[in-house]
Amino acid sequence: MVYEPTRRTLLRSGAAIAALSSAPALIGRALAQDADLAPYKAAKIDWQQFKGEQITVAVIPASYFENLITLAPQFKELTGIDVRFEKIPPAQIRQKSVIDLTSKTGTYATHAADPMYFALYAANKWVEPLDTYLADKSLTDADWFKLDDVIPAWRSADSVGGKLYGMPYDGEVTIQVYRKDLFAAKGLKPAETLEQYMSNAAALNAPSDRVWGAALRGVAGAGQNMYIYPSIFREFGGDWMKGGKLTVNGPEAEAALAWYVDLMRKYAPTAAANWNWPDIADAFSQGTVASYIDAHSSASVINNPDKSKVIGKVAYARWPTGPGGKRTTSIWNWGFPINAALPDKKKKATWLFIQWAASAETQARTAHRFAGPAKRSGVNRSSIWRDPDYVKLMNGFGDNFVEATMQSLEQDTDVDWRPRVPQWPAIGDTMATAIQAALSGQATVKAALDDAQKRIEPMMRG
Amino acid sequence: MTTTDIASAPVGGGYDRLLARRERRFASALLAPAFVALTATTTFPLLYLVWTSAHRVDLAMPFTNGYVGLENYAVLLADDRFWSSLLVSLVYTGSTVVLQVVIGLALALLVMDMKRGQGWFRLIAILPVVLSPAVVGMIWRTFMLAPEFGIIDFLAINAGLGSQNWLGEPKLAMLSVIAIHTWQWTPFAFMVLLASLASLPDDIYEAARLDRASAWQRFYRITLPLLRPAIVMVIIMRTMVALTAFAAIFTVTAGGPGTATEILNLYAYRKSFTELSFGYGSALAVALLIVTVLISGVLFALRRAK
Repeated sequence: MVYEPTRRTLLRSGAAIAALSSAPALIGRALAQDADLAPYKAAKIDWQQFKGEQITVAVIPASYFENLITLAPQFKELTGIDVRFEKIPPAQIRQKSVIDLTSKTGTYATHAADPMYFALYAANKWVEPLDTYLADKSLTDADWFKLDDVIPAWRSADSVGGKLYGMPYDGEVTIQVYRKDLFAAKGLKPAETLEQYMSNAAALNAPSDRVWGAALRGVAGAGQNMYIYPSIFREFGGDWMKGGKLTVNGPEAEAALAWYVDLMRKYAPTAAANWNWPDIADAFSQGTVASYIDAHSSASVINNPDKSKVIGKVAYARWPTGPGGKRTTSIWNWGFPINAALPDKKKKATWLFIQWAASAETQARTAHRFAGPAKRSGVNRSSIWRDPDYVKLMNGFGDNFVEATMQSLEQDTDVDWRPRVPQWPAIGDTMATAIQAALSGQATVKAALDDAQKRIEPMMRG
Repeated sequence: MTTTDIASAPVGGGYDRLLARRERRFASALLAPAFVALTATTTFPLLYLVWTSAHRVDLAMPFTNGYVGLENYAVLLADDRFWSSLLVSLVYTGSTVVLQVVIGLALALLVMDMKRGQGWFRLIAILPVVLSPAVVGMIWRTFMLAPEFGIIDFLAINAGLGSQNWLGEPKLAMLSVIAIHTWQWTPFAFMVLLASLASLPDDIYEAARLDRASAWQRFYRITLPLLRPAIVMVIIMRTMVALTAFAAIFTVTAGGPGTATEILNLYAYRKSFTELSFGYGSALAVALLIVTVLISGVLFALRRAK
C-alpha cells in the first residue's frame, strides 16, 4: 500500500494512538487478508517448519508494540505459529519476567527485555545466546536478515561477553529538545556544553511568567533518574568500573550530581523532582518548560495536536558535551531474548518470531508503512533511518529531529553508559534513591554518593 | 452438651466417655480440611519465609546462594537503612494511630449530638475507607498534592504559604503520607467510636448532671472510661494495619524522596523484588513480623490490665 506522509497526517496520527488500540483486531484482519508475504518468502528458510507451535510474548502497552500485534496475523499466515501477546506495564514487566525466568516455567517464550538485565539473565543462564540461532542456516537466512543493519549500539547493549542475548526491536536515544521561539527571542542556541545548557536555562527561566528554564527526570527509579544521570556522570569523566571495582562516588560523580542538582533546583519546576518523562513532555506541551533532555521518542507527545500548544516551535539537538568534550546519550532499547526454559522446538519457533519482528520488512511495516495512525520513531534498522519516506515522516516532529537522533545513535553512544553487571537491579535502585536524596536535599551530594558506594560494595562481594 | 446429658442418665460413665470420644473424633474430622487449608496457606508460607531468611538467595549472584544461618540477621542489625526504616515505620504508625483516634473521637462526639443528617454524614465519612489504598495514593499524588495544580497546594498558595513541594521535600513528604493515611482511616475509628457512644447508658449522664458535673468532667470521668475497650480495640487494629501499610505509600512516594518515607515494609519489598535479594528481604520481613507481634502483645497486655 502506498502511504504518503504529510506533516498533517503525522500530527493527526499521534493523537489517534488511543483510538487505534481499541480497534487492532479489525485492522489486523484487514491486513492479514491482503498481506503480501513475498518479501518474507525471499528468505531461504522454511518458515513453516514449526507449524502448530504456540508461544506467548510479553510486551509493554506502547504503540510500537501495538503495531506489531496488529501485524501478528501475517506472522501466523507465514509460519503457522500461534503468538499470544500479554501486555504488562513497564513498571512490572521486569519483575514478572524475572519471576517467570527463575521459576523456569517458560510462560513467556520471549519478552520485551530491559538491556540492563541481560547481564543478570546471562549469569543465571535464563536466556540463550542468539549466535547459534543466527548461525543455523535452516533457521536464519543471514543475507536476508542482515544483522549488521540492526543498530550496532543497541546490539552491543543487548550483548554480554560479546554474545548477543536479545534482539533489539525498538529503541531510543536521549537528545536535547527545545523551544526555538523562546531561544530565538533571547538570541540563544542549543547548548554545546553542559555549562551552556545551565546558562541557557538561567536565561530562559522566568517562573513568574510560568516558564521554567529546563527539566530532567527526577523521580527515583533505575529507569528514571538513573537513566539521565549516567549520561552526565560519563560526560564528567566518570568511570563505573574504576580499576575493575564498581565505583559510584568520587570527584567526577560529585561534579556530575552537583550539576544535576543545581539545574533541577534552580531552573526546573519544583515538582520535576518527582517527574518522569511523560510529565516533562506534558509540561513542555503546555509551554511551561523551555528545554529538556530526554528520549527522542517523547517527540510524539509534544507533537500531539490535541494536547500540545507548542507544535511547530520545537527543535532538537544532541546532548551537550561534558568538560572532557564527550557526549553520552542513552542506549535504551527493548530487546527480545529466548527463554532457556522452553523445549527445543519452541525455542526455534520463538526465534522465527524474533527474526520476523526484527526484520527490516516488519520494521518498515510497523513504522512508516503502517496502515494505522501511529508511526514508530524507534526502528532498529540503520537502513530505514536513511529511507527518504521514513526521514520525511520523522522530520514532521520538528527541526533537526532525524539528524540529532542519527548522530546521537552513531556517535554519542557508549556501551558503558551504565554499569552492566548482574547486580544492576540492586545498583540501579540504590543509585536512584541516592540521586533523589540529593535532589530533594535529604542528603548532600557527597553524602548521598558515599552512602550509595557503601551500600553497593557488599552487593558486589560474592 | 445435650447429647451427653441424655446419654449419661441411663447407661453411666463408660458409654458417656465413648460418646464424648466419638464426638471429638467427629469434630476433628470436620475441622481437618479447614485446618489443613489454613496451615497450607498461612503457617507454611510463614515457615518458608523464616527458612528463606536463613539463606542467601540472591538472583544477581546465583553462585553465592546457600545456607547462611543467622548472617542475614547480623547484617540487618548493622544496617543503617533497616534502623531508619524501622524508625519511619514507628513514627508513621504512632502518629497516624493517635491522629485517627483523636480526630475520630472528636468527630463521633460532634456527630452524636447531631439531630438531623447523621445518616448522611456517616455515609460520606465511610467513603475513604472503601477506596483501595492504591487509588487513594494516586488521587492524592495527582489531584491533591501536585505542586501548582493540586487542591492542597492551591489552598496553601491562597493561604499565603506559597506553593510547596509536598512529595519532594523529605519532611513534607512524611507529613503528607501521614495525612493521607489519617484521611483514609479516621472514618473507621469514627464509626466504631460512634457505635460505642450510642450504646452508653443515659442514666449515668443524667446522674452526673444532677451532681452538677461539668461537660469536661462528664467526658473525662464517664465517657472516656466507658469507651476505653472500644478505643483500645481501635488502637490495636489500626496499629497492626499501619505497621504493615504498603499500597498508599508505594503509590504516593515509593519511599522517597530518598528514603524519607521508606517504611520497613517498603524496604523489605525493595530488597526482595527490586534488588532480587530474597534472603535478606525475608529477614527484613521476619523482623517486621517480630516488631508487629511485640507491639500488639504489649497492646493486648495493656488491654487486659484494667
